[in-house]
Amino acid sequence: MALINKDTKLSEIILHEPSTITVLDRFGIAMGVGDATVAHACDTRHIDVNFFTAILNTYINENYFPQEVLAQFSAPQIVDYLSKTNDYYEKNVLPNIERHFAFLIGKAPSHNNNLIIMKQFFDEVKNELHHRIIDDRERWFPEICNSGQEINLTPQPSLEDTNDTIEDKIDDLINMLVVHLKGDYDHNLGYAVIVAVFSLKKDIKQNNRIRNRFLRPISNAMK
Amino acid sequence: MSEYRAVILTTNQLEAIGLRELLRNVFDIDAYIGDKFFFKSLNVNNEPSFFFIDQSTFVGNLSFFLPRKAKTVVLNKEDIDEMNTLRTSACENELIDMLSRLLRTGKKEENTSTALSSREIEVLRLIASGHINKEIAQELNISVNTVLTHRKNLTAKLGIKSVSGLSFYAMMNGIV
Repeated sequence: MALINKDTKLSEIILHEPSTITVLDRFGIAMGVGDATVAHACDTRHIDVNFFTAILNTYINENYFPQEVLAQFSAPQIVDYLSKTNDYYEKNVLPNIERHFAFLIGKAPSHNNNLIIMKQFFDEVKNELHHRIIDDRERWFPEICNSGQEINLTPQPSLEDTNDTIEDKIDDLINMLVVHLKGDYDHNLGYAVIVAVFSLKKDIKQNNRIRNRFLRPISNAMK
Repeated sequence: MSEYRAVILTTNQLEAIGLRELLRNVFDIDAYIGDKFFFKSLNVNNEPSFFFIDQSTFVGNLSFFLPRKAKTVVLNKEDIDEMNTLRTSACENELIDMLSRLLRTGKKEENTSTALSSREIEVLRLIASGHINKEIAQELNISVNTVLTHRKNLTAKLGIKSVSGLSFYAMMNGIV
Protein backbone atom coordinates (compact mmCIF):
# COMPACT_ATOMS: atom_id res chain seq x y z
CA MET A 1 0.00 0.00 0.00
CA ALA A 2 1.19 3.53 -0.73
CA LEU A 3 2.09 5.59 2.34
CA ILE A 4 -0.91 6.73 4.32
CA ASN A 5 -1.52 10.47 4.35
CA LYS A 6 -4.22 12.74 5.80
CA ASP A 7 -6.47 12.25 2.76
CA THR A 8 -6.44 8.44 2.89
CA LYS A 9 -9.77 6.87 3.82
CA LEU A 10 -9.76 4.80 7.02
CA SER A 11 -11.77 2.08 5.27
CA GLU A 12 -9.03 1.74 2.60
CA ILE A 13 -6.41 1.28 5.32
CA ILE A 14 -8.40 -1.42 7.13
CA LEU A 15 -9.40 -3.25 3.97
CA HIS A 16 -5.81 -3.31 2.77
CA GLU A 17 -4.27 -4.22 6.15
CA PRO A 18 -6.89 -5.63 8.56
CA SER A 19 -4.38 -5.87 11.42
CA THR A 20 -4.49 -2.04 11.66
CA ILE A 21 -7.92 -2.37 13.31
CA THR A 22 -6.14 -2.93 16.60
CA VAL A 23 -3.87 0.08 16.07
CA LEU A 24 -6.83 2.32 15.23
CA ASP A 25 -8.53 1.06 18.38
CA ARG A 26 -5.61 2.48 20.42
CA PHE A 27 -6.57 5.89 19.04
CA GLY A 28 -10.24 5.37 19.94
CA ILE A 29 -11.33 4.51 16.39
CA ALA A 30 -13.61 1.47 16.08
CA MET A 31 -15.06 -0.26 13.02
CA GLY A 32 -17.91 1.40 11.18
CA VAL A 33 -15.60 4.13 9.90
CA GLY A 34 -17.84 5.14 6.97
CA ASP A 35 -15.95 7.16 4.40
CA ALA A 36 -14.02 9.25 6.95
CA THR A 37 -10.53 10.28 5.96
CA VAL A 38 -7.55 10.23 8.31
CA ALA A 39 -7.72 14.03 8.65
CA HIS A 40 -11.42 13.97 9.55
CA ALA A 41 -11.05 11.14 12.09
CA CYS A 42 -8.10 12.87 13.75
CA ASP A 43 -9.80 16.24 13.78
CA THR A 44 -12.95 14.99 15.51
CA ARG A 45 -10.92 13.08 18.13
CA HIS A 46 -8.21 15.71 18.67
CA ILE A 47 -5.47 13.37 17.49
CA ASP A 48 -2.20 14.72 16.07
CA VAL A 49 -2.61 13.74 12.41
CA ASN A 50 1.15 13.59 11.75
CA PHE A 51 1.70 11.29 14.70
CA PHE A 52 -1.22 9.11 13.65
CA THR A 53 0.04 8.67 10.08
CA ALA A 54 3.63 8.08 11.24
CA ILE A 55 2.51 5.29 13.60
CA LEU A 56 0.30 3.65 10.98
CA ASN A 57 2.94 3.83 8.26
CA THR A 58 5.55 2.40 10.62
CA TYR A 59 3.15 -0.39 11.54
CA ILE A 60 2.22 -1.32 7.99
CA ASN A 61 5.57 -0.98 6.23
CA GLU A 62 8.44 -2.86 7.79
CA ASN A 63 11.01 -0.82 5.92
CA TYR A 64 9.46 2.52 6.82
CA PHE A 65 11.02 4.12 9.86
CA PRO A 66 10.91 7.91 9.59
CA GLN A 67 13.60 8.95 12.11
CA GLU A 68 13.24 12.61 11.22
CA VAL A 69 9.43 12.52 11.34
CA LEU A 70 9.31 10.68 14.66
CA ALA A 71 11.84 13.14 16.07
CA GLN A 72 9.12 15.83 15.85
CA PHE A 73 7.00 14.09 18.45
CA SER A 74 7.36 14.32 22.19
CA ALA A 75 8.42 11.32 24.24
CA PRO A 76 5.18 11.49 26.33
CA GLN A 77 3.20 11.21 23.08
CA ILE A 78 5.03 8.00 22.18
CA VAL A 79 4.79 6.73 25.77
CA ASP A 80 1.04 7.25 25.63
CA TYR A 81 0.77 5.20 22.44
CA LEU A 82 2.98 2.42 23.82
CA SER A 83 0.97 2.37 27.09
CA LYS A 84 -2.19 1.79 25.07
CA THR A 85 -0.36 -0.93 23.16
CA ASN A 86 0.59 -2.60 26.47
CA ASP A 87 -3.05 -2.37 27.63
CA TYR A 88 -4.10 -4.03 24.39
CA TYR A 89 -1.69 -6.93 25.01
CA GLU A 90 -2.80 -7.33 28.63
CA LYS A 91 -6.53 -6.99 28.16
CA ASN A 92 -7.05 -8.51 24.72
CA VAL A 93 -4.23 -10.42 23.09
CA LEU A 94 -2.87 -12.51 25.97
CA PRO A 95 -6.30 -13.53 27.35
CA ASN A 96 -7.38 -14.29 23.79
CA ILE A 97 -4.46 -16.68 23.19
CA GLU A 98 -5.09 -18.25 26.60
CA ARG A 99 -8.71 -18.84 25.67
CA HIS A 100 -7.71 -20.45 22.37
CA PHE A 101 -5.21 -22.69 24.16
CA ALA A 102 -7.81 -23.71 26.75
CA PHE A 103 -10.20 -24.77 23.95
CA LEU A 104 -7.41 -26.54 22.06
CA ILE A 105 -6.37 -28.57 25.11
CA GLY A 106 -9.94 -29.16 26.33
CA LYS A 107 -11.23 -30.36 22.96
CA ALA A 108 -8.28 -32.62 22.04
CA PRO A 109 -9.69 -36.05 21.10
CA SER A 110 -7.24 -37.73 23.48
CA HIS A 111 -4.86 -36.53 26.17
CA ASN A 112 -2.07 -34.69 24.35
CA ASN A 113 0.81 -33.80 26.63
CA ASN A 114 2.51 -31.81 23.87
CA LEU A 115 -0.32 -29.28 23.90
CA ILE A 116 0.13 -28.81 27.63
CA ILE A 117 3.87 -28.27 27.19
CA MET A 118 3.16 -25.69 24.44
CA LYS A 119 0.78 -23.93 26.81
CA GLN A 120 3.48 -23.90 29.52
CA PHE A 121 5.88 -22.30 27.05
CA PHE A 122 3.24 -19.70 26.19
CA ASP A 123 2.75 -19.03 29.94
CA GLU A 124 6.47 -18.28 30.21
CA VAL A 125 6.28 -15.83 27.28
CA LYS A 126 3.17 -14.27 28.78
CA ASN A 127 4.81 -13.80 32.20
CA GLU A 128 7.88 -12.21 30.62
CA LEU A 129 5.73 -9.82 28.62
CA HIS A 130 3.66 -9.09 31.72
CA HIS A 131 6.79 -8.19 33.72
CA ARG A 132 7.95 -5.90 30.94
CA ILE A 133 4.58 -4.16 30.92
CA ILE A 134 4.70 -3.64 34.70
CA ASP A 135 8.23 -2.25 34.44
CA ASP A 136 7.10 0.09 31.63
CA ARG A 137 4.13 1.30 33.66
CA GLU A 138 5.77 1.67 37.05
CA ARG A 139 9.31 2.69 36.22
CA TRP A 140 10.39 3.33 32.63
CA PHE A 141 7.52 5.38 31.22
CA PRO A 142 7.13 7.63 34.34
CA GLU A 143 10.91 8.14 34.36
CA ILE A 144 10.74 9.46 30.79
CA CYS A 145 7.59 11.55 31.27
CA ASN A 146 8.59 13.04 34.64
CA SER A 147 12.12 13.96 33.69
CA GLY A 148 10.99 17.57 33.34
CA GLN A 149 13.30 18.01 30.40
CA GLU A 150 12.16 19.49 27.15
CA ILE A 151 12.73 16.49 24.94
CA ASN A 152 13.77 17.53 21.53
CA LEU A 153 16.44 15.05 20.71
CA THR A 154 17.14 13.46 17.41
CA PRO A 155 16.91 9.74 17.96
CA GLN A 156 20.13 7.87 17.39
CA PRO A 157 19.81 5.44 14.53
CA SER A 158 20.59 1.97 15.64
CA LEU A 159 22.00 -0.44 13.08
CA GLU A 160 20.10 -3.35 14.50
CA ASP A 161 17.12 -3.61 16.77
CA THR A 162 17.95 -4.81 20.25
CA ASN A 163 17.80 -8.56 20.42
CA ASP A 164 14.59 -8.94 22.32
CA THR A 165 14.16 -12.22 24.13
CA ILE A 166 10.37 -11.93 24.04
CA GLU A 167 10.48 -11.80 20.24
CA ASP A 168 12.87 -14.77 20.18
CA LYS A 169 10.58 -16.80 22.41
CA ILE A 170 7.48 -15.96 20.38
CA ASP A 171 9.37 -17.04 17.25
CA ASP A 172 10.27 -20.29 18.98
CA LEU A 173 6.69 -20.86 20.12
CA ILE A 174 5.48 -20.38 16.54
CA ASN A 175 8.16 -22.70 15.25
CA MET A 176 7.27 -25.38 17.78
CA LEU A 177 3.59 -25.17 16.89
CA VAL A 178 4.20 -25.18 13.14
CA VAL A 179 7.06 -27.67 12.92
CA HIS A 180 7.17 -29.81 16.03
CA LEU A 181 3.56 -30.25 17.21
CA LYS A 182 2.59 -33.91 17.52
CA GLY A 183 -0.39 -35.95 18.60
CA ASP A 184 -4.13 -35.53 18.19
CA TYR A 185 -5.70 -32.09 18.28
CA ASP A 186 -8.59 -30.20 16.73
CA HIS A 187 -7.07 -28.56 13.64
CA ASN A 188 -9.44 -25.60 13.62
CA LEU A 189 -8.64 -24.76 17.23
CA GLY A 190 -4.93 -25.21 16.45
CA TYR A 191 -5.21 -22.63 13.65
CA ALA A 192 -6.89 -20.20 16.04
CA VAL A 193 -3.92 -20.45 18.42
CA ILE A 194 -1.29 -20.03 15.72
CA VAL A 195 -3.07 -17.08 14.06
CA ALA A 196 -3.38 -15.33 17.44
CA VAL A 197 0.31 -15.91 18.23
CA PHE A 198 1.34 -14.67 14.75
CA SER A 199 -0.72 -11.54 15.31
CA LEU A 200 1.00 -10.93 18.68
CA LYS A 201 4.37 -11.45 17.04
CA LYS A 202 3.69 -8.91 14.32
CA ASP A 203 2.42 -6.31 16.78
CA ILE A 204 5.33 -6.75 19.19
CA LYS A 205 7.87 -6.64 16.38
CA GLN A 206 6.50 -3.41 14.95
CA ASN A 207 6.18 -1.73 18.34
CA ASN A 208 9.64 -2.87 19.45
CA ARG A 209 11.01 -0.82 16.57
CA ILE A 210 9.44 2.27 18.12
CA ARG A 211 10.61 1.28 21.63
CA ASN A 212 14.16 0.32 20.72
CA ARG A 213 14.97 2.82 18.03
CA PHE A 214 13.22 5.91 19.28
CA LEU A 215 12.26 5.77 22.93
CA ARG A 216 15.33 3.92 24.21
CA PRO A 217 17.89 6.34 22.73
CA ILE A 218 15.91 9.24 24.27
CA SER A 219 15.81 7.46 27.61
CA ASN A 220 19.55 6.73 27.42
CA ALA A 221 20.29 10.35 26.55
CA MET A 222 18.51 11.47 29.74
CA LYS A 223 20.88 9.52 31.97
CA MET B 1 13.75 -15.03 1.68
CA SER B 2 14.55 -18.52 0.42
CA GLU B 3 15.85 -21.05 2.93
CA TYR B 4 18.06 -22.56 0.22
CA ARG B 5 21.34 -21.11 -1.00
CA ALA B 6 23.27 -22.13 -4.07
CA VAL B 7 26.77 -21.22 -5.14
CA ILE B 8 27.84 -21.30 -8.79
CA LEU B 9 31.49 -21.98 -9.56
CA THR B 10 32.34 -21.89 -13.23
CA THR B 11 34.78 -20.06 -15.45
CA ASN B 12 32.00 -19.33 -17.95
CA GLN B 13 30.62 -16.08 -16.55
CA LEU B 14 27.72 -15.84 -18.98
CA GLU B 15 26.60 -19.36 -18.02
CA ALA B 16 26.97 -18.44 -14.34
CA ILE B 17 24.87 -15.27 -14.65
CA GLY B 18 22.14 -17.08 -16.61
CA LEU B 19 21.96 -19.93 -14.08
CA ARG B 20 21.93 -17.50 -11.15
CA GLU B 21 18.94 -15.64 -12.59
CA LEU B 22 17.13 -18.91 -13.35
CA LEU B 23 17.64 -20.21 -9.81
CA ARG B 24 16.55 -16.92 -8.27
CA ASN B 25 13.57 -16.12 -10.44
CA VAL B 26 12.15 -19.54 -11.24
CA PHE B 27 13.13 -21.58 -8.16
CA ASP B 28 13.32 -18.88 -5.48
CA ILE B 29 16.80 -20.00 -4.46
CA ASP B 30 19.27 -17.51 -3.04
CA ALA B 31 21.94 -18.12 -5.71
CA TYR B 32 25.29 -16.35 -6.02
CA ILE B 33 28.44 -16.68 -8.10
CA GLY B 34 31.48 -17.79 -6.11
CA ASP B 35 34.91 -16.30 -6.79
CA LYS B 36 38.41 -17.78 -6.59
CA PHE B 37 38.48 -17.24 -2.82
CA PHE B 38 35.36 -19.35 -2.33
CA PHE B 39 37.04 -22.36 -0.70
CA LYS B 40 39.15 -20.17 1.60
CA SER B 41 36.16 -18.20 2.83
CA LEU B 42 33.78 -21.18 3.13
CA ASN B 43 32.25 -21.60 6.58
CA VAL B 44 31.70 -25.35 6.99
CA ASN B 45 28.96 -24.72 9.54
CA ASN B 46 27.00 -22.64 7.07
CA GLU B 47 27.52 -24.31 3.72
CA PRO B 48 25.31 -23.58 0.69
CA SER B 49 22.49 -26.03 0.06
CA PHE B 50 23.70 -26.63 -3.52
CA PHE B 51 26.95 -26.40 -5.47
CA PHE B 52 26.72 -25.80 -9.23
CA ILE B 53 30.21 -26.33 -10.64
CA ASP B 54 31.94 -26.80 -13.96
CA GLN B 55 33.91 -29.93 -14.74
CA SER B 56 37.34 -28.42 -14.07
CA THR B 57 36.26 -27.21 -10.61
CA PHE B 58 34.88 -30.69 -9.90
CA VAL B 59 38.05 -32.50 -11.01
CA GLY B 60 40.31 -30.03 -9.20
CA ASN B 61 38.42 -30.42 -5.88
CA LEU B 62 37.30 -34.06 -5.83
CA SER B 63 37.99 -34.51 -2.12
CA PHE B 64 35.65 -31.61 -1.37
CA PHE B 65 32.80 -32.46 -3.75
CA LEU B 66 32.60 -36.26 -3.50
CA PRO B 67 31.36 -36.24 0.12
CA ARG B 68 28.86 -33.58 -1.01
CA LYS B 69 27.73 -35.51 -4.06
CA ALA B 70 24.03 -35.25 -3.22
CA LYS B 71 24.06 -31.47 -3.30
CA THR B 72 26.56 -30.99 -6.12
CA VAL B 73 25.52 -30.46 -9.73
CA VAL B 74 28.15 -30.52 -12.47
CA LEU B 75 27.56 -28.24 -15.45
CA ASN B 76 28.54 -30.16 -18.56
CA LYS B 77 27.49 -30.71 -22.15
CA GLU B 78 27.07 -34.47 -21.53
CA ASP B 79 25.93 -36.53 -18.54
CA ILE B 80 28.68 -37.65 -16.15
CA ASP B 81 28.31 -41.11 -14.58
CA GLU B 82 27.25 -41.19 -10.93
CA MET B 83 27.08 -37.41 -10.67
CA ASN B 84 24.15 -34.99 -10.86
CA THR B 85 24.69 -33.31 -14.19
CA LEU B 86 23.00 -30.29 -15.71
CA ARG B 87 23.36 -30.58 -19.48
CA THR B 88 24.16 -27.02 -20.51
CA SER B 89 23.42 -27.76 -24.17
CA ALA B 90 19.75 -28.59 -23.42
CA CYS B 91 16.90 -26.30 -24.50
CA GLU B 92 15.17 -23.99 -21.98
CA ASN B 93 12.28 -26.29 -21.02
CA GLU B 94 14.55 -29.28 -20.62
CA LEU B 95 16.90 -27.23 -18.46
CA ILE B 96 14.05 -26.22 -16.15
CA ASP B 97 12.84 -29.83 -15.91
CA MET B 98 16.33 -31.07 -15.10
CA LEU B 99 16.82 -28.35 -12.50
CA SER B 100 13.47 -29.11 -10.84
CA ARG B 101 14.44 -32.76 -10.54
CA LEU B 102 17.94 -32.08 -9.24
CA LEU B 103 16.76 -29.51 -6.69
CA ARG B 104 13.98 -31.77 -5.44
CA THR B 105 16.45 -34.58 -4.77
CA GLY B 106 18.92 -32.22 -3.12
CA LYS B 107 16.27 -30.68 -0.87
CA LYS B 108 15.14 -34.13 0.28
CA GLU B 109 18.74 -35.01 1.09
CA GLU B 110 19.19 -31.81 3.06
CA ASN B 111 15.96 -32.28 5.00
CA THR B 112 16.96 -35.72 6.21
CA SER B 113 20.11 -34.25 7.75
CA THR B 114 17.98 -32.30 10.26
CA ALA B 115 17.90 -35.32 12.61
CA LEU B 116 19.85 -34.62 15.80
CA SER B 117 23.10 -36.48 16.39
CA SER B 118 23.59 -38.28 19.69
CA ARG B 119 26.05 -35.58 20.81
CA GLU B 120 23.54 -32.84 20.00
CA ILE B 121 20.90 -34.68 22.02
CA GLU B 122 23.30 -34.81 24.98
CA VAL B 123 23.96 -31.08 24.69
CA LEU B 124 20.22 -30.42 24.42
CA ARG B 125 19.56 -32.51 27.54
CA LEU B 126 22.12 -30.49 29.50
CA ILE B 127 20.77 -27.15 28.21
CA ALA B 128 17.28 -28.20 29.25
CA SER B 129 18.60 -29.18 32.68
CA GLY B 130 19.81 -25.62 33.17
CA HIS B 131 23.54 -26.07 32.49
CA ILE B 132 25.53 -23.16 31.07
CA ASN B 133 28.01 -23.65 28.21
CA LYS B 134 31.04 -23.98 30.50
CA GLU B 135 29.33 -26.67 32.58
CA ILE B 136 28.25 -28.55 29.44
CA ALA B 137 31.85 -28.46 28.18
CA GLN B 138 33.11 -29.88 31.50
CA GLU B 139 30.42 -32.53 31.67
CA LEU B 140 31.07 -33.80 28.14
CA ASN B 141 34.81 -33.17 28.24
CA ILE B 142 34.76 -30.95 25.15
CA SER B 143 35.73 -27.30 24.55
CA VAL B 144 33.29 -24.41 24.98
CA ASN B 145 33.70 -23.69 21.25
CA THR B 146 32.51 -27.20 20.44
CA VAL B 147 29.51 -26.66 22.71
CA LEU B 148 28.75 -23.43 20.82
CA THR B 149 28.95 -25.31 17.50
CA HIS B 150 26.49 -27.94 18.80
CA ARG B 151 24.15 -25.17 19.96
CA LYS B 152 24.31 -23.48 16.55
CA ASN B 153 23.51 -26.81 14.90
CA LEU B 154 20.58 -27.37 17.26
CA THR B 155 19.16 -23.96 16.37
CA ALA B 156 19.70 -24.58 12.65
CA LYS B 157 18.08 -28.02 12.74
CA LEU B 158 15.16 -27.26 15.06
CA GLY B 159 14.60 -23.58 14.25
CA ILE B 160 14.56 -22.86 18.00
CA LYS B 161 16.82 -20.14 19.41
CA SER B 162 15.98 -19.56 23.06
CA VAL B 163 17.00 -21.74 26.00
CA SER B 164 13.34 -21.93 27.06
CA GLY B 165 12.29 -23.06 23.58
CA LEU B 166 14.99 -25.74 23.52
CA SER B 167 13.99 -26.89 27.02
CA PHE B 168 10.32 -27.23 26.09
CA TYR B 169 11.32 -29.07 22.89
CA ALA B 170 13.38 -31.48 25.01
CA MET B 171 10.39 -32.04 27.33
CA MET B 172 8.09 -32.71 24.38
CA ASN B 173 10.46 -35.29 22.97
CA GLY B 174 11.28 -37.09 26.22
CA ILE B 175 14.92 -35.92 26.23
CA VAL B 176 14.55 -34.68 29.81
